[in-house]
Parts: sequence; C-alpha cells; structure tokens
Amino acid sequence: MTKSPNRLLATVFGVVYLLVGLLGFTVTGGVSFFDTSGGLLLGLFEVNVFHNVAHLLIGAALLIAGVSNIAAARGVNIAIGAAYLLLGIVGLFLIGTEVNILAINAADNVLHFASAAVLLAVGLGADKKVRAARA
Amino acid sequence: MSQIVRTWLGFAAIGAGLVHLALVISSPLPIAAIVLLLGVTEVAWGVVTFVRDSVPAPRVACAVAIAPLLAWSLLVVAATMLDAVWLAASLPLLPMAIASIFELFVAAVLAAHLRRVQNAVGTATLPALPSAGRYLVGLMAGALLVGALTTPALAATEAGRYAQPHGSHDADFIPADDGGSGTLTGIRLPEHGGH
Repeated sequence: MTKSPNRLLATVFGVVYLLVGLLGFTVTGGVSFFDTSGGLLLGLFEVNVFHNVAHLLIGAALLIAGVSNIAAARGVNIAIGAAYLLLGIVGLFLIGTEVNILAINAADNVLHFASAAVLLAVGLGADKKVRAARA
Repeated sequence: MSQIVRTWLGFAAIGAGLVHLALVISSPLPIAAIVLLLGVTEVAWGVVTFVRDSVPAPRVACAVAIAPLLAWSLLVVAATMLDAVWLAASLPLLPMAIASIFELFVAAVLAAHLRRVQNAVGTATLPALPSAGRYLVGLMAGALLVGALTTPALAATEAGRYAQPHGSHDADFIPADDGGSGTLTGIRLPEHGGH
C-alpha cells in the first residue's frame, strides 16, 4: 500500500471521512435527516444526518478501495473526486435554499473543492504504470 | 522532471487559469476574449500535465506563460502614459499579480527543464518515481499553496464579489421606533456576518 499514492490516499482519506462521519453525529442531535440547517462540526463545517451518512459511505468506499488494489483505489479516487468537484460547484448555488438537503455551508464547499483537487490530481496523475499495463 | 514538480506545474496553471476566467465578466469584450482563451488554455494544459507522463509542449507553454505578464505590463505602461486609466482598470492588481506569480513559476520551471534537457542530449533518463508518501505530501503542499493564493485572488475579482455568501442576517430585526422625532438613537444592531 505504501508504494501506491492512490492506495495510500484512499486509505488515509477513507479513515478520515469515516471519523468525520462518526463525529458528525455528535453535533446533529435533534437535527432531522434532510434538515437544511444542521450542527457545526469542529465549529465550522455544517452537517445534517444525511451529510454524515454520505461521509460514512464515502469513507467506507475509499477505505475498501485503498486496502484492495491500485486499480480500485484509482477508480474510486477519480470517481469521488469528480463527485466532490460537482458537489462543490452545485453547493455554491445550494446555500440558503430549501433544497440544501446536505446542510452545506461555505466551509463545506471549501473542503469539498480541496478534496476534489487532491483526489483527482492523484487519481489522474499517479500509478500510471498500472494504467499502461492494463491498457 | 520529477512527478512532484509536474503536479505543482499543473496546480499553478489551473490556479492562473481560474483567476483569468474570473476576470472575464468585468472586462471589456476584447480583453474578456483574451483572458477567456488564456484561462481555458491554462486549465486544459494543467489537467493534461497531470494526466500525461511528460509536460505537454514545454516550449510553447513557456512562451504562453510569459506573454500575459508582458502584455499586462505594456497595458499598464500604456494606460499610465496615455493617461487612460480605463485601459487597465478591468484587470485589478491583486488577481493579476497572483496569476503572474503562477505564470512566472511555470515559466521558470519549464525554462530550467528545457535547459537541462538540452544539455543532456543522449544521456537523458527519466527521474525515479518518488515514494507514495513523499508524492502525496508534495502534492498536498502544492495544492494548499495554490489554493491559499488563488482564493484571495478570486475573491478580489468581480465574479468573487458575487460569489460571496450573504451570511446570516437576522430576518426578525426591526429598527426601534424613533417616536417620529426623525433621529434614531439607542439602536443596537444584531450581530451578523457575511459582508
């Protein structure tokens, strides 16, 4: 695992997102599943129950891919990176609206963009020998 | 060129491209067309730099990285000499200065790379791949630095001013009745952020 940037990143991000998902439940007491305004994780990142579940699923997908193999880790890194990029852009327009079912705030958007940049950069840029060998 | 430096080039090009794209809406048509083309080119080149094993078109990229800085300098000089502030007013200092830092970084790295390749004809070997941990630390450091520079640059553009979330105003706030005296005294405004 330590030889592949994709596997290492997927594993580290997977653990981090699982922890973030679990910690999120400590600030969402009394917040409903799709509430448009949730609790503040670390006093900064707004989350509701749906947001926590999404973090848990993303963390699990990354962790499983990270401990599996390079091709799985690359695929999941690119897929989740692209999803985060899309969510970051959509999130800019969701803030303050009634369809903000993930209770996204500006700090969330920054974190989503940062995650997208790192996941896509590593997914697209690293472990190219594996990709070439598979082609 | 090492894999880590190539990711830095990619991030720097995408950062410069985003800043240039954000300047499109505040610029008059001729300048808007130029920064639009430049921004799209820079973002595309940055993405391709990540995806490919080598830097795409390094000589052309080096020239394209320097050209906007020269053009902006000439525009500012012309605006000053002709006393026509409007000429350079659509290109604010902070975003252009930060985009120029990215461009200079790209140009300097590419120039050094081209010189190294030229001096090592016939003996060129691909650099060894860095360890996964070192690669990730290098990549994240580059992403953090470019993000930290790009964010204030984007915020200082017209597009950034529209993107600023309006914060949480207290919708229930009602100004105190002045009793018809025409002067408002003793008003305590609720705390609010976002401006």
